This record gives sequence, structure tokens and C-alpha cells, in this order.
Amino acid sequence: MKTKAAVVLLFVVLGLAGMTTAAHAAHSNYATANKPIQFGLTAVVVRENLRLLDVWAQYLSDRMGQPVEFVQRRSYREVMDMLGSGGLDFAWICGFPFVQKRDPEFVELLLVPVYQGKPLYRSYIIVHRDSPYQSMDDLAGKIFAFSDPESNSGYLYPQFFLANQGDRPETYFHKTFFTFNHAETVEAVAEQVADGGAVDSYIWEYLREFQPEVADKTRVIQKSPTFGFPPLVSRLGADPDMVERMKAVLMGMSSSPDGRVLLDALKLDGFGEFSPSLFDSIRDMAAETRKARPWIEAAEEKEKELRAEEIE
Amino acid sequence: MTLFSPRSWGFSVKVAITITAMVSGVAFTIGAAIVTLDWWRFHNDLEEKALLLAHSVAVAAPEAILRSDYWLLFKSLKKMAAQGPGNIHRTRILTAMVIDPEGKVLAHLQPSENPLGMLLAHSDEEEARLMETSMAARSPIVLDGDIGSDWVLEGVVPVFSDQKLLGVVRVRLSHDELYLKTERSALIILGLTLALATIGSLSGVAISRRITKPLTTVTEGMEAMCRGEFTDIEPVQVIDDDELGRLVATFNQMTVEMAEKKLMEEQMAVSEKLAALGRITAGVAHEVNNPLAGLLNCIDTLKKHPDDKQLMERYLPLLDKGLNRIRNIVGSLLVELRVEDAREVSGLSCLEDLRDIVEAEIDGREIDLVWENHLDDRIKVNSRRVQQVILNLLKNAVQAVPDGGTVAFHSFQDANCVVLEVDDNGPGIPPGNRSQIFDPFFTTKPNGTGLGLWIVYRLVESMHGVIVVESEVGRGTQFRVTLPATEVVT
Repeated sequence: MKTKAAVVLLFVVLGLAGMTTAAHAAHSNYATANKPIQFGLTAVVVRENLRLLDVWAQYLSDRMGQPVEFVQRRSYREVMDMLGSGGLDFAWICGFPFVQKRDPEFVELLLVPVYQGKPLYRSYIIVHRDSPYQSMDDLAGKIFAFSDPESNSGYLYPQFFLANQGDRPETYFHKTFFTFNHAETVEAVAEQVADGGAVDSYIWEYLREFQPEVADKTRVIQKSPTFGFPPLVSRLGADPDMVERMKAVLMGMSSSPDGRVLLDALKLDGFGEFSPSLFDSIRDMAAETRKARPWIEAAEEKEKELRAEEIE
Repeated sequence: MTLFSPRSWGFSVKVAITITAMVSGVAFTIGAAIVTLDWWRFHNDLEEKALLLAHSVAVAAPEAILRSDYWLLFKSLKKMAAQGPGNIHRTRILTAMVIDPEGKVLAHLQPSENPLGMLLAHSDEEEARLMETSMAARSPIVLDGDIGSDWVLEGVVPVFSDQKLLGVVRVRLSHDELYLKTERSALIILGLTLALATIGSLSGVAISRRITKPLTTVTEGMEAMCRGEFTDIEPVQVIDDDELGRLVATFNQMTVEMAEKKLMEEQMAVSEKLAALGRITAGVAHEVNNPLAGLLNCIDTLKKHPDDKQLMERYLPLLDKGLNRIRNIVGSLLVELRVEDAREVSGLSCLEDLRDIVEAEIDGREIDLVWENHLDDRIKVNSRRVQQVILNLLKNAVQAVPDGGTVAFHSFQDANCVVLEVDDNGPGIPPGNRSQIFDPFFTTKPNGTGLGLWIVYRLVESMHGVIVVESEVGRGTQFRVTLPATEVVT
């Protein structure tokens, strides 16, 4: 009798527990269906084109059956932090943050944009159109603009380039600063606030077409080898079904007329599935640079603290 | 050249000018005060604006400076320049910058000329002064400067973090706006001044018209009176019973009285003329009649005794004498005509010839003749007339003085006149005779013709001269002839 009662109680408890779990799960699903999908954007996209982003968000929302919101942050670090904390489900980030070690890993490669037929881009070193500078050598002792401390084309590549010849930005240049945006690096060089700058080739070409009054004041004096194009990533903990649907919607853009228009506006051919090894060259370059600059981690730690303070 | 001598301007012009000057003076003074006040108000506004703009950059500056975020600093300068509150009011931001405590550029609105991390280049002393003053600032200040031809105003705000000076934000504004605004209000005030001055001068003209119209009429009337026109002066209309009205009324009364007086004088002159004419006629009749009776008698007797030679010899000289006397009288009456022909001109030495004639007239009597002729011989005169005048006067004097008396002749030049004086210390002219001495046929001498002084008077008059008699009974007489220089041929 006692046992029977205990079993019943157990069932009840289990049942209650199960019901609670089920209810929780159902609630969770329900919430996901209505909660907007947060899609993080960084300096890889031209932020100024807000109307285009609205149209794109609408396009994705329609096809996902769920609102999609683009979330913009000043730096890669902030976007990565948001991905890590679950504040974002997707993000368009740079190859450099993608290859950085995370413990535990919380991002997964979703798709890579196809630009001019390939999932590749370069870093451009630009100077003012009227300046006499012809190579990186001429920029020694000058003012140099980087885009983001975690940008491949805007920071890692020029750093790597200088490390290979035994220099580092702090001493090689007279002054350096971060604009946290490729387009603003172009602007800083065009305004002659900086003598030179490192920018994403895709952004520079994009500006040449859509903001020629700024971009045409600059000229490229050095082009890097090709790197994997800044990828779209998903949060590891995100709903796999949603991730698959997002992947399909994005890949389907090139075959839908509306999607085509958007891709044309973005100057992209489409989005494709590629192996993470596409970014190995960036990983190697980061490792090389790190080797040449052992103090970099300490500096990064310090900056992390500063950012944390700022976020607070 | 009355245009340049204000004293000759009309009263209406003077009143109009005075009122215009006063009105525009007041308007201009008030206007200048307003413009000055406006200037200071705009200046203060601009100073505030400069500080406000500098503050807008300084707010975000500490963090950006600490993080060496030069791009953020530059962007805040750009943003301030592009959409600062001044933009609405067309304030011209000449330049703006963030300078570190060492004077190096952290951000500059003209980055190409002022590179990041370099000492701010200052081309002139004024720039250096502004730089030094702004770097020394520990609280927000506004500086005035004179850069090139531009007058500028700089808002300076130092940036601190934890009481440590991180840098200085400088925003330099142009004074153009100030000039523009002040110019606008100055133009409005100038317009008002001109309008008031116009109204003032118009009312000045109106007021002075009201005053000067009767005055002008009165003046014209008086001018006519001066010319001797008394009868045709129109009475001036009396408008108000004020000072002017009284003046006009008095003037009207005066003209009427003057006209009456003139009429009376004219009537008197006519009767005097008639009286003189009567005297002359009576004189001529008397003087001619006297010898005529004797002459006719002689002719009668000769007719009766045509063959009496003795009678003929006795009467012919009598006839001759009598007819000559008549001829002399008629000749004297026509003296003017006679001497008119004599246009002989010679030096005054001709007067010396008279001396002998007078001495002959004295003819051994005990008379002292004083002769002082001080005239320059270069002064030429109508010698015949002057000789005649002086000779007549001297003859009279010689006849008037008793034995032991003195006759004197003085001549000298006085200003533009020649003065000739004949004095005697004879018995003088009784007061009752003085008004008649120049009348024709007036004589006190038993056998005088009474034409001597009359001839003198007519001759002096013909030379536009003046003859004056001063006489005192028992003391003597002086005749003074003054001839104007226009008649003295030099």
C-alpha cells in the first residue's frame, strides 16, 4: 500500500515534471516563433545604407516566417560578445574573429558571400589621391588608419605585413587610430586625417560605385593576397531548424528576382557553402603576427576590459 | 558765390538746414547708440555660440583623447561644424581643433595642413599669441584675434579628466555674421534717419515759409522805400496776431505815413521850386529892367537929337555899359553851359595862378593872405571850373574882411577826395541869410549881382562835389569844397 502510494506519487511527480518540461518547451517554441531573429552586422557591410538593410530584413522576415532584425554594433568585439551571450543568432563577421580561438566555441560557419565569382577578397592599403605615397615604405612616420582591432583586412593584414619586415604599427607610424568602420577609414584618408589606411577591398570597390565623391579621393597603393570573404556565422546553440531555414533562404536569394535585386545592391553574387578551411590563411597570418608580437595578448586583454567598462 | 557764404543764405534755407541737422543729429546719435548696443549684444551672442560649440566637442573629448580615438575627435569636430547651432544663423566656423597639452594636434578641421600628432603650425605672431593664451586656459574662455584681415573670435574649452589637462578644444568663428547683422540694423537706422531728416527739412521749409513770406514782403517794401518808391507799396496781408502780425501791421501803417509824407514833400518841393523860379524871374526882370530903362531913355534922346554929336559921344559909352551888364547877367545865368565846354584838364598848379589875381584884388589893402596848397600836381582837375569856384570864394572873402583881416586858402587830399578851404575872419554871415546865400540874385552888397555863390554852387554840383559853409557872426566864415576822387583825374 505504501509502495503503491509511493509509485503513484512518483508518477504524479514525474508527470508534473514532464508536463512542466513539455509546457516549458512549448512555451520556448512559441516564443522563438514570435521573437525576432537577431542578425548582427559589423563593419563588413556599409552601414550607411539603412534603407537597403530594411528591405533585406523584410525579405528575410517574409521567407523565414519570422521577423528578422539587423543589429549593428560599433566593433566586432561587441558583436562577438553578443553572439557569445546568446543575444544574436546570426552575424556577418570578419574572417579574423571567426578564426580566433574560443573556449568553448560558440560560432559555426553558416555561409560565405560570393564576390566577383569567388568567396574571396583582399586588404587594400589606400592613400589620398593627391599624396606622393607609392608604397607602404613611404608611409613610415605617417598617420595610419585601421578599421577595427579585430578586422582582418583593416588591421591584421597590415600588422602582419609590418611584422614580416620587423616593424610594428606603434613605432612604424607616427600615429594610428581605429575608425571601427571600413567606410570611415576611406573617409579618414579622403579627408587627409590619415595619410594611409587599410580597408576591405569589397567595401572600397562598393564605395567607388555608391559614394564616388569620397572613394575617388583615395587610391590603392598595395593589395594583399586573397583571403576568405567575411563569413556569415550562426550561434552554436541556435535552433538548428532555424539555422537550416536561414541557410536555405540566403542561398535562395540568387535565384529569386527580389533577392537578385538585393544582391546587386550589395554588389554580391550570392551566398555559398564553403569549408571553414577557407579561412586557414587568416588563421596562419594571425599566428605569425602573434609570434612576432608576444605582447599582443596582454594588450588585447586590456582592451577587453576597457570594452567591458564601456558596455556597462 | 553766395553758395559758400552762409550769412547770405535765405532764412528759409537756414531754418530748414537747422531743423534737418538737429533731427538727423538726434536720429543719428540714437541710431549710433542702438547700433553699438546691437554690436555688443551680437558680440556676446557670438561669444556664447563659440563656447557652446567648443563645449559640444569637449563633452565627448576626454574619453576619445584617453583612448587615442583621433577619428572620433575629428568626427565630433566635423559634426559640430556641419550641424552646430551656428549653421542656422550662418555663423562661419573658420576652424576648430583639439590640441594636446604639448601643443600637438589631436584633431583639426583642416587635417591636411595640420597633421595629427604634429605641433600646431602658427604662421604669425597673432596665431602664436592665441595658441599660448588658449593653452594657458584652465577654464572656458573666449579670445579675440586678428588673423590676417579677418577679425576672429575663439571659444576655448580645456578638457580635463580627473583634474588632469588632456587637451584644449578651440573653435574659431568669423566675425562676418556680426558685421552682417550690425550692418543690417545700421542700414535700417540710416533709413530712419534719412526719413526723419526729410520730414524735418520739409517741416523746416514749411515753418520758415510761414515766417519768411511776410518778412520777404516787408523787406521788398522797405527796399522799394529806399529806392524812393512810396506810393505803389501793396499793404502786406496780416495772417496772425503774433509778433509777425504786429510787425506787418506796423509796416503797413508806416508805408501809408511815408507815402503821405512823400506826397507833402513833393508838394513842398514844387512850391519851393516855384518860389525860386519866381525869385529868379524877379531878379532877372529887376537886373535887366534897371539898365533897360536908362538905355531906352538914351536911345529916345538920341532919336530926338540925331545930329548932336556931343550927345552921341556921351550916350554911346552908357549904352555900351548897360548892354554889357545885361550880357554879363545872362552869361552868368548860363554859366553851366559856358563852362561845360571847357573840358580843359590840368594839374592843380593852376590854382597858383589865382594867387596873383587875389593879390591884385587886395590892391594894397592891409589884408594877410595865407596860402597853403598841399596838393600833388599829378592830380588833374577840370581847371577852369575849380579856378572859377575858388576865385569867386576868395573874392568874396577879400571883400568881406576889414583892413587888417586874414584870408586863407588851404588845399589837401583826404582819402579819395580833394578838399579846398577858403577862410576869412570877416563879420560872418547872419543866421537869417545862411539859407539864402546860394540863391541867385541874393546879395548884401550894394552893387553885387547875387550870382557869385550861385555860380559856385552850380559848378560844385556839376562836379558832384559838396560845398559846406561854417560861419559865426564876428568870428569869420569858412567855405569847404570837397570834390570826389572820381572827378579828380589822376
